[in-house]
Amino acid sequence: MQIPIEHKTLANGLRVVVAPDSTAPVVTVGVYYKIGFRLEPQGRSGFAHLFEHMMFQGSENAPKMQHIKLVNSSGGVLNGSTMYDVTNYYEAVPSNALERVLWLEADRMRALKVDDENLRNQRDVVKEEVRVNVMNQPYGGFPWLDMPPVAFRNWANAHNFYGDFADLDAACLADVQAFFRSYYLPNNAVLLILGDVNATEGFALAEKHFGNIPAGPAPKFADPAEPNQTEERRGDVVEKFGTLPAMAIGYVMPPRRTPEWYAMALLDQALHGGRAGRVHRELVLEKQLAVEADGGVDDLFGYNGPTQLTTRIFHKPEVSSEETVAAFDAVVRDVQQKGITESEIEQLKVKWRSDYFATLEGGRGGYMPKYGLMHLLACFTLFDNEPQLVNTILNEFLAVTAKQVQDAARKFLQPQNRAIVFRKPAPAAEKEAA
Amino acid sequence: MATQAPRTASAVPALAPEREVRWPKRTKSKLANGLELILLESHTIPKFHGELYFRSGNAAASNRATALAEMAATMVRTGTTGRASREIEEHLRGLGADLSVGAGQDNSAISFAGLSDQAEPLLQLVNELAREASFPASEFERERRQKLEEVKLERTQPGFLAGERLRKILFGSHPYALVSPTEEQVAAYTREELQSLYRDFYTPENAMLILVGDFDSAAMQKTADQVFGSWSGKKPLATETATPPIPKGRRIHLVDFPGAVQTQILAGCHAINRKHPDWIKLGLTNSLYGGAFNSRLVMNIREDKGYTYSPRSAVHPMRQHGYFSVSAAVRNDVVAASLTEIFYEFDKLRSLPVPDAELLDAQNYLTGVFSMGLATQSGLLSQISTLALNELPDEYLETYRQKVRGLRPEDVMAAARTYFDSANMQIVVVGDRKSIEPQAALFGEMQVFDAKGNPLS
Repeated sequence: MQIPIEHKTLANGLRVVVAPDSTAPVVTVGVYYKIGFRLEPQGRSGFAHLFEHMMFQGSENAPKMQHIKLVNSSGGVLNGSTMYDVTNYYEAVPSNALERVLWLEADRMRALKVDDENLRNQRDVVKEEVRVNVMNQPYGGFPWLDMPPVAFRNWANAHNFYGDFADLDAACLADVQAFFRSYYLPNNAVLLILGDVNATEGFALAEKHFGNIPAGPAPKFADPAEPNQTEERRGDVVEKFGTLPAMAIGYVMPPRRTPEWYAMALLDQALHGGRAGRVHRELVLEKQLAVEADGGVDDLFGYNGPTQLTTRIFHKPEVSSEETVAAFDAVVRDVQQKGITESEIEQLKVKWRSDYFATLEGGRGGYMPKYGLMHLLACFTLFDNEPQLVNTILNEFLAVTAKQVQDAARKFLQPQNRAIVFRKPAPAAEKEAA
Repeated sequence: MATQAPRTASAVPALAPEREVRWPKRTKSKLANGLELILLESHTIPKFHGELYFRSGNAAASNRATALAEMAATMVRTGTTGRASREIEEHLRGLGADLSVGAGQDNSAISFAGLSDQAEPLLQLVNELAREASFPASEFERERRQKLEEVKLERTQPGFLAGERLRKILFGSHPYALVSPTEEQVAAYTREELQSLYRDFYTPENAMLILVGDFDSAAMQKTADQVFGSWSGKKPLATETATPPIPKGRRIHLVDFPGAVQTQILAGCHAINRKHPDWIKLGLTNSLYGGAFNSRLVMNIREDKGYTYSPRSAVHPMRQHGYFSVSAAVRNDVVAASLTEIFYEFDKLRSLPVPDAELLDAQNYLTGVFSMGLATQSGLLSQISTLALNELPDEYLETYRQKVRGLRPEDVMAAARTYFDSANMQIVVVGDRKSIEPQAALFGEMQVFDAKGNPLS
């Protein structure tokens, strides 16, 4: 399967990627900025995400509420999301609205026009977002917010990505404009146009609307490198509502796109590939210590700094944490000592190929066509300057051998490369008092 | 938005002429054993997606045990006469396939997706699961324990508690009132009753197979006939259930959730199913009210007032009935203020005609989003499934946009008056009783429950 892709760089440094496909009269537009919550300013935890909300609050020619209104009333849907190393803004619209959407994205890349009232409003909205997703849910934030402070030592990787409320309260309009000036530059972004468009038209419209946005000085990024880890790290978090003890076990991944990284991705499949995965099979189906066990790398193609391969386990209350860790360790030891069979690696690859196709086609929540393709193209462009990787990277995964998977398990699934977070239900008495 | 006139954008590019929306051809047939088959080609990726639906779910099983169809569905993949659980899972992985089995109120379904070049073996496995599930005793006890933990856990989720309470209030003694079993009910399930349900529900006369993806329809038709042709079985006896009465008078139902740092609001009333002639009208009205980002409620309580992150309204169609609901998770100190705005927006749509420009925006939204289903295999599958399960006319896909565009402000007002029944709206709030009770009590006669559903004084 080959996806037709064309790309070019405008004079202001904006990279533009067009992937034409006339299957449906729908076009997906995305703008990705190379800044996520990992490298947001210290003392401003949660700011990258709060800022993302501000991008919907008004730009030079499209005041508050107009951005959303213009996309919805063109028959389209839109959203944005803040990730570790990128922030995206995207729309899927009937293709006759393409120019309108490009105009809107260009308008907010050129100038953000927001006031204190907008900031107060979105700070309130974000706090309710944190409450609904984290503070008022069983296992909210587990493990994506629980793990970083236990596993990492560099503030960039270890802080609260959703934001401490005191930091959100401290954020002011000057921070918003400074962040915008530093990172929301054409030379720190990629524009993606996918679907019902031809390349000539796509590039012409990109030039027309984005071509005269001035470039800025190349952003300075803090170094996210972690100091060397020498022993296992552990931490505890109290679970306020849930009824089962849970744990997350994370191993730091090798650098992106190295042979070991591809092997770890297949090892991840061997461990966590659904109900056939070794962790689920052993802990849930065979030994029956756990009620649920799964895992993976959070957004394998979308990060660009230290990250982990993480297993999540919800175990039976009558089974101790230590027994559960021991059972998990036995699964790891088995791969390290015996490796995986030829037939297993073949199965893993077939599944990998099938999943990769689904990612390329895949929507987001069933409503955003080509979200997956957009995400991969954007990350390969921003991190690697190589959008064509979308068409070649699959082969790297399919070339991994059973031996490489075993070697990766031996080298990386080591205690001095891991952290464990235990999320334990509060004792009943404490719950009553809550 | 209620307090400040929005400024409009300047120099917005106009929309280009629309490109034609063309839905792919559907091939419909019925095998000799009664299995309905719908095929639709979509060549976006070398894969295909499928659903094998059975037209009986938890509602049809409610005279046996609560949510029994769901428990049976959970068991289907855990063993067949020819394969143990582990063999099934590894076979699926080797085919590059995903598969799940589930049941809702009205249907049970085996849902799957796989590589086109492995279509036949995947269909063979689906056939095996539909006909030869063996319900191994040890797997049953394991799944039962998992289900027990699951039903305990869902009682710690505000969204679940709100939904469960609203369904109880709206549907009373009708099976649609039951969304989940109690721990005692799970403990009482027997393997025999699951097997008996499986024999009754999982039959070709009760089934419909929909396949969407990268295949040739004629060849796929042959494959499906070969794979499923020798299956036999009758339609189960239909169960008749009396129409539930509509609860009269606006009431408030508070589910106490000690320690909650936010309050989950869910208000709802009876509405209609998809076959009802007002369906599209109500869909458009819902989209104006709270069904889209750009809707009045979202603009009001999120973008203007910042009370909540994700307010939404929706119409929930089921086979026999339907209901409307609006939900918002709000700050504890603005429960009353949020409810006031929720009702203000209902009553405004009931009292004043929608301005033409706003109506046009909503019509564009609904028709645009409808066509997005065209772009992916799973999107097409979901559209075709909706049509087929609700026995909607085949040309529904082609005529939907026209029907939406034909609606006028008076249609919206009529739908709002009929279906946004503010006088009889049932309001559920899930939150910390001591923080929110006085605010909640402002909206009607109140009853308080604990998370297990027991009334509190």
